[in-house]
Amino acid sequence: MRAMRIEERLYTLRYKRDEKPHLEIKDQGTCKKCYEEYGSPCIIACPANVYSFSNDGRMIVAYENCVECGTCKIVCPFNNIIWRFPRYGLGMAIRY
Amino acid sequence: MKFDVIVVGAGPAGSAAAYTAAKNGYKVLMIERASEPGAKNVSGARIRDSVISKVFETKDLPFERIVKNSRLIFKTKETETQITVKPKEKLYIISRLKFDKWLAKNAENAGALLITKTTVTGIEGNKVITERGAVEGDKIILAEGANALLSMSLGLRRELKPDETVLGVREIYSSTRDEVAKRFNLQGDEGEIWEIVTDHPIPSAGFIYTYKDAVVIGIGSSVDELIKNKLKPYELLDVFKEPYLELVKGFSLREYSAKIIPEQGFPKFKPCKGNVYVAGDALGLVDPLTFDGIGPAVISGSLAGKADSCESYYKSLYEAKEIVKVVRSRPLVHELLKGENLGFYVHLITDFISSWIKGDFSELRYYKSSLGKMIKHLALGLGMIG
Repeated sequence: MRAMRIEERLYTLRYKRDEKPHLEIKDQGTCKKCYEEYGSPCIIACPANVYSFSNDGRMIVAYENCVECGTCKIVCPFNNIIWRFPRYGLGMAIRY
Repeated sequence: MKFDVIVVGAGPAGSAAAYTAAKNGYKVLMIERASEPGAKNVSGARIRDSVISKVFETKDLPFERIVKNSRLIFKTKETETQITVKPKEKLYIISRLKFDKWLAKNAENAGALLITKTTVTGIEGNKVITERGAVEGDKIILAEGANALLSMSLGLRRELKPDETVLGVREIYSSTRDEVAKRFNLQGDEGEIWEIVTDHPIPSAGFIYTYKDAVVIGIGSSVDELIKNKLKPYELLDVFKEPYLELVKGFSLREYSAKIIPEQGFPKFKPCKGNVYVAGDALGLVDPLTFDGIGPAVISGSLAGKADSCESYYKSLYEAKEIVKVVRSRPLVHELLKGENLGFYVHLITDFISSWIKGDFSELRYYKSSLGKMIKHLALGLGMIG
C-alpha cells in the first residue's frame, strides 16, 4: 500500500464550512519570528496540515481542513493563534 | 428562558449529567456544538459494562463488538513481545457516533431538552451565552471535552503545555463483517483490541481494534516528542501501521481523526466554582496511556448532575473508584510517558521474555543499574508515593 496523502485522509471526513474562520493568526510577524526561533511547531504538530507558509512568507491557515483537535493552540510558543470552535454545527464531523 | 440545570456538551459526561439531573426531576437543557451528539467526538472505544451500568440501563447499548481478546504488545525496532488477556468482565467496543447518540437519547427520554448545532461562547454568572443568544441556568455543568475553552476562561484550569499533552491520530478502514471476522478469527459479536507500546520511531502507544465491519488503527504520542523529532502525526501513524497493513488490505479508508489527551487533570483542574461544575475530559479524566476515559466521564457527569454544592461534588469524586483510579495512576503515567522511561520498559520486557526463551538471564544484568528507578515506579504504581 502506498503512503496516502493527507488530502485523501481528510476527504473521508464530512465537512461543512463556516464562512467565518474559527482559526486566526493574531500577528503575521510573530509567525516569522517563530519559524526562525522554534521551526513553527504548529506546522509540524497539526494532523491536518492546516498551517503553511505562502511563497511571500505569510502564514496561511486552511481552517476548512481543521479536525478540531486543539494541538496548534497548545504548541504555539507565542499564543499567536485565536482558536475557537466552528459555529452552528459547522466544521468537521466523523462517520463512526 | 430559565432552566434548573444547563449542560454544555452532549458527550458521555454531558449526557450522564443531563440524564441524572432530569431523572431527579430538574428542568435540564443540554447544548451540543455538533450537528448531532458524537459527530465531533473521537476516542478509544473500549467501555466496561460494569461502569456504564452504574448510571445507564445498558440492555440496548449499541455496541460494535464485545472484547474476546485484549492483546498487549511491547515492540522495539528489532523484536516484540505479546501478552494476550481474556477479559474477566464484559468490555464493549463502541463507535462514538452511535454510542453518544444513544446516551443523549437516554437523557432526552428522561426529560432533558437537547439543542444541537449551537456553540457556547461564554459563561457569565448564571447566563450561558451562545451564538444564538443566552439562556439562564441555576446550575451549569461544563462537559465540553479536552479543549475546555469555557473552563479555562473561568480559571478552573489553565492551558496545557506540549510536554503534558498526548496527541492521538487514527484511521478507520471498512470492509464487511465477515472479512473483519475472518482476519481476526472472530465469531459472532466477538471483537479484539490490541495495545502496542513502542519506542520506535518515538515513544508511543498504538492501538488496533475491531468494529462490526471495520478496523481502527491509531497511535498516540507526546506532542513534545513529535515536535522535537519534527515528525508529523500522520507520518508517525504511517510508520506504526506499516507492519499491520495486511490486516486492512483491500479495505477502504473511511475516517481520519485526531484528539488531544491531557496528562494533567483533577485535582489540579478544579471541578467546580460557585454554580459551575466540570466533568469528563474537560476535567482531565482520560488515562493518557490506556486512553480509558468514557467510564470516568459517565461517572463524573452523573456525580455533577447529582451534586448540590461544590463541596459535595469534590467529596463524591474522591469516593468514586473510577475517578480515584485515574488520579492515583497519574504520577506513574507521567513517569512512564517520559520518552526514556517508556523505551526502557519496552526493552526490559522484550529482553526479559527473550532471555526466558533462551534460558539465559545474564543479559538482564544490564538492568541492575536501573533498579532504583524501577523501585520508584513500582512504588508509584502501588500508590506508596506520589
